[in-house]
Amino acid sequence: MYGIIDCDNCYVSCERVFRPDLKDVPVVVLSNNDGCVVARSNEAKKMGIKAGMPFFQLAQQFPNQKIAVFSSNYELYGEMTGRVVSLISKEVPAYFRYSIDECFVYLEGMEQSGLKKWGENLHKKIKQYVGMPVSIGIAPNKTLAKAAAHFAKKYKGYRHCCMIDTDEKRVKALKLLPISDVWGIGRRYAKKFERLGIQTAYDFASHHESWVRLTFNNIVIQYTWQELNGQDVITNERLTPKKSICTSRSFRGMVSDLESLKMHVSNYAARCAEKLRTQRTVASIVGVFLHTNPFRTDQPQYWNFQEKNLITPSSSTQTLVKAANDILEQVFVSGYQYKKAGVIVTGIRPDTPIQQDLFDINAHQFQKMKRLDEVIDNINRRHGTETIVLGAQQYTQKDEHGKAEVFANAIKHDHRSKNPTTRWNDIVKLK
Amino acid sequence: MGNIKIIKGVFDTKLELKDARVVAGFPSPADDYSHDSLDFNRDFIRHPEASFYGKVEGMSMRDAGILDGDRVIIDRAVEPHDGSIVVGFLNGEFTMKFLDLSHRGDGYIELRPANPDFPVFKITEEDDFEIWGVVVHLIRTFENL
Repeated sequence: MYGIIDCDNCYVSCERVFRPDLKDVPVVVLSNNDGCVVARSNEAKKMGIKAGMPFFQLAQQFPNQKIAVFSSNYELYGEMTGRVVSLISKEVPAYFRYSIDECFVYLEGMEQSGLKKWGENLHKKIKQYVGMPVSIGIAPNKTLAKAAAHFAKKYKGYRHCCMIDTDEKRVKALKLLPISDVWGIGRRYAKKFERLGIQTAYDFASHHESWVRLTFNNIVIQYTWQELNGQDVITNERLTPKKSICTSRSFRGMVSDLESLKMHVSNYAARCAEKLRTQRTVASIVGVFLHTNPFRTDQPQYWNFQEKNLITPSSSTQTLVKAANDILEQVFVSGYQYKKAGVIVTGIRPDTPIQQDLFDINAHQFQKMKRLDEVIDNINRRHGTETIVLGAQQYTQKDEHGKAEVFANAIKHDHRSKNPTTRWNDIVKLK
Repeated sequence: MGNIKIIKGVFDTKLELKDARVVAGFPSPADDYSHDSLDFNRDFIRHPEASFYGKVEGMSMRDAGILDGDRVIIDRAVEPHDGSIVVGFLNGEFTMKFLDLSHRGDGYIELRPANPDFPVFKITEEDDFEIWGVVVHLIRTFENL
């Protein structure tokens, strides 16, 4: 069985942990530069505030309403969701973080009759420990688990955990699930489904597989159809985290020693860094996976994936390479013949500062840069992100004193909350 | 020089400190008792995912030895009991007080300061009050880092 743990209105919930007074108040979180609404509390959704609504329209459309508005604070959201993932990782044989607020778990080996109760308790634990409400779906595959989570979120009676474990429940769920809410395909193909007269997941799943192949000629839709019908086909490999960059290769032969793996993983990390810089973005989470050859059943099998948050979101080669190697050392177990490894970076966002020829560096410079990176990270860790930034990270815009602004200040965030979990100056004040 | 042995071989694995002593020819009698160093995070933070830090403002808990400027560690995983020092959200701010459950039978609880100059807060069920976490450690810094 698989599970999905989905944070309810993630960013809003993070803000509310430190603002208990906003419990029943409409709350929205804005995108970078305070452009538009990216997250809404249930109250805000009920008012008719849409995701993506430009901020200036909010005041125009709802002139006399009290709405709590926050600029996005990814430093806070990253730390708080890291706590959620850490709690989850202690309870399951394997997990796969799909996005900042969604985490798939693999529940094989756990007593199936106890899974529903386990999910309810996990919700309770995460709510108590971190303050984050979650919805949990459990089913024989990821698509049905997502559907179950949809119902767990929608109906209070499930006590935050819904399990689809019989064919009867599967059919009932699909009949109630609008096709637009099916994971991975709904929104993109909404118009086509409408034209075909398909309204629910059940309408779609009841068609013959060959009809699906002819009508869509799309492998993702075919996987979805198979999963709605109960098969388990969307493997971790076929699943790329949302808004992520992945670089991975199968090795020509088998690789068993750490040093060779480090070389490969360093290259993948460097490639990810290049891709990030090409699209002028930075990543805040670096993940590394490696596994043996699943077809060589005669050999012992091993699979692992771990990730870590970067103190300062980065697209720098040496930062990503170092992070990837640190993780590799944690997941590597000697004695296995490895077939594949990869680096996945997530938490991607725009990197507005200009970067000059910083990355055309030689070996001597690299050593210096590495040292510099550590010093900067240490200072930033103690005094807050972007206390020190590299010269090349400096923003071209000048502030009112004529000084170049740093990245954090150059992004507009008039309503940014504090960082009580990552900066000593911001810890909770107790009267 | 007679006691120094030249060791030949491949040194591609990391040398453990313990092994290094053996190589040098002085096996320490403490080796059998080797133990990881004490670690505040490991030993005192029982629930890292549930632990948050707070900074004390004011003297409302003075007689409990908690002073203005002190830092405390709040653990949300710990169940509060009568007499716990708890953190709650009252009148728009976080407050830290003793939890007094002795009047629970009468339909209210109290948050008591440890300083007669400060008021006792009486909280009834209608107040929609939640205990945010339980204070488990106090940190006072005497020398700046």
